[in-house]
Amino acid sequence: MTLLEFARGPAIHWALIILVAGTIWRLLGVLALTRGGDLSRPRDAFGNYKGYRTVFSRAWPSSEFNVATRYQTIVAYLFHFATLIVVVGITAHIEFIQSLTGASWPALPNAVGVAIGIVALVSLLALILRRLTNPSIYCSNLGDYITWILVAAPLITGLMAFAHLGPRYETMLAIHILSVALMFIWFPFSKLMHSIWFVFSRAQSGLTYAHKGVQI
Amino acid sequence: MSTSAAVAPIFPTFEQVCQGFAGQIGMLRQMAPEPTLTDAVRVERAIDTLIAETNAGEAVWLESCIHCGQCTTACHFFQATGETKYAPMRKMDLYRRIYQREVGPFRWWYKLITRPVKLKELEDLQELVYDSCSECGRCTMVCPMGIDTASLVHHLRSALVAAELVPAELAALTAEQKHRGTIFGASADTLMNMINTIRDHYGVTIPLDKPSAEVMVLSSAVDLVANGNGLLATARIMNHLGVDWTMCSDGFESANFGLLSGDMALWRQQSESITTAAQRIGAKTLVIAECGHAYPALRWNPMIKGGSLPFDMVYMSEFLGRMAKAGRLNLTPIDGKITYHDPCKTGRRGGAFDQPRAVLQAMNADYVELPSGREYNWCCGGGAGIFLLERATRLRDESFKIKIKQVNATGAATVVVSCASCRLNFEAGRVKNHWDKEVASLVELVADHLIDTPAQAPAAKSSQPGVTA
Repeated sequence: MTLLEFARGPAIHWALIILVAGTIWRLLGVLALTRGGDLSRPRDAFGNYKGYRTVFSRAWPSSEFNVATRYQTIVAYLFHFATLIVVVGITAHIEFIQSLTGASWPALPNAVGVAIGIVALVSLLALILRRLTNPSIYCSNLGDYITWILVAAPLITGLMAFAHLGPRYETMLAIHILSVALMFIWFPFSKLMHSIWFVFSRAQSGLTYAHKGVQI
Repeated sequence: MSTSAAVAPIFPTFEQVCQGFAGQIGMLRQMAPEPTLTDAVRVERAIDTLIAETNAGEAVWLESCIHCGQCTTACHFFQATGETKYAPMRKMDLYRRIYQREVGPFRWWYKLITRPVKLKELEDLQELVYDSCSECGRCTMVCPMGIDTASLVHHLRSALVAAELVPAELAALTAEQKHRGTIFGASADTLMNMINTIRDHYGVTIPLDKPSAEVMVLSSAVDLVANGNGLLATARIMNHLGVDWTMCSDGFESANFGLLSGDMALWRQQSESITTAAQRIGAKTLVIAECGHAYPALRWNPMIKGGSLPFDMVYMSEFLGRMAKAGRLNLTPIDGKITYHDPCKTGRRGGAFDQPRAVLQAMNADYVELPSGREYNWCCGGGAGIFLLERATRLRDESFKIKIKQVNATGAATVVVSCASCRLNFEAGRVKNHWDKEVASLVELVADHLIDTPAQAPAAKSSQPGVTA
């Protein structure tokens, strides 16, 4: 078995199994805990439902915090969207998804894919630079850095494979797939799970405050 | 103006009240109870408390933090000092570790890779959850995950109660309220003496222990042992409104050191004495004195079944706002530009925003909002018991500078507050900084501007059913 066969075969498949099983385990382990009810009388009878708005409204900071959050909000938006587009938009990824699910859609032109991949990487670099230069604000821990490395690795190796940089293409591609596998394995145990938690966390707080008649 | 305005005042000014308290607070430190348990038991009790109090809600919040740093800049204690240890997210670190080791879905793994909690770590936590967190909730307003750090800090306070690690001043008052039912010695006798003084000197009647009344009114230790003007103002307003009201000698204290320290057994003992008295007299409305944390202790406490209680619980500013909106407060206009500081517990964490503003409007005030006002208001730095902690003086003083800047930006001559803790902290900050603003309490301001007319005599109002507007 070549390195590429290993990456495309058992490595990525086991990584996906760990990703799915681990995520379900972590979600259930938390969500199956009892929920403390709020017995106090709500400010207005149906007001609590307004709390769910926070799931969406918190996607953008309030104008009160514009200045403090501007850099991070803009760069984080660039990173998330650019990464998403690259993940589902370029030919190689669509072929991989098709091999797993059978679904397929038209791909972006290669040049556009590369450009967006670079945007994702540069924005990720911009985020880590800010984290490194403002240690008192970010209070970073080991998990923050491991997560950054495991997210940056697929972007870097993917761009290198695409541009035929580094070792020969097959090896580079194998490294790229292995780096993705590592990120998948890391996902359920790390802060990458925020991509799911944000819905629950925002909803909870939105409801808690809406109960008292406060829109957060 | 009311008739009693002509009587020579006998109660101290609030500046004197504030100075008097500083002396009393100094004595509390000597009265604090010593730890009685072994170190191992204290750690175990703290962990058990957190395990018991961690539901899915807390778990989701602990799981969601991405260390994005936004909360840090939203916190007045970090803003004031620039010290990273005060970052809100760091206050959850120890809680998260205990959660991951004891409750979380990967606890077997975290038990292998993380250190067990030591007493020293709990001791260090004291400064983070008492001295440097007023549970104001401003960090929640910016958190992209919406994490309610203040709630988590409250659980940590409960854990420190179990570990006998409550700061001396809070511990002394908690012990006093638990064992003697008083705060700063404010007993039922103190209440009666104050009521007699107010009646004898000002001719203002305060009904005590009426067998039934529509409105039950609470006071607070600050008013009973020092600031007589607070209770006097409350009485004058209630009599002006002509409501059927009473105070109860077995449930008069708004302040709840159970909630402040995190001792939820005391919280229950204290809040139940009030709700029991209110039910006994058949009250329709319970008015909570200007004592910020009493609002979450009673009105918003998730463990009090508010829906099945036969009465409404309202904060003083809410009650006054309702009366003002109903046109029942007859007030003289107020001079000069005025702004209002929302106490964290009644504003962002209580939702009583419009009512105090309606009261100021009823006085035709030249009102101006604070920049970063309402939901985004900066905490004054004295809430959640911090005003009492000598050790937190630097944190309080530094963070109060944010407040000074915020109020100065409005150009107002007077800042109105509606919380005894805020007011004490504002007053201390005003004196220390030679600040040229006047700090006023909403209830005293209203009492000073009442126009008493015959139409407001009690007999004329008795036909009006209820005041539970």
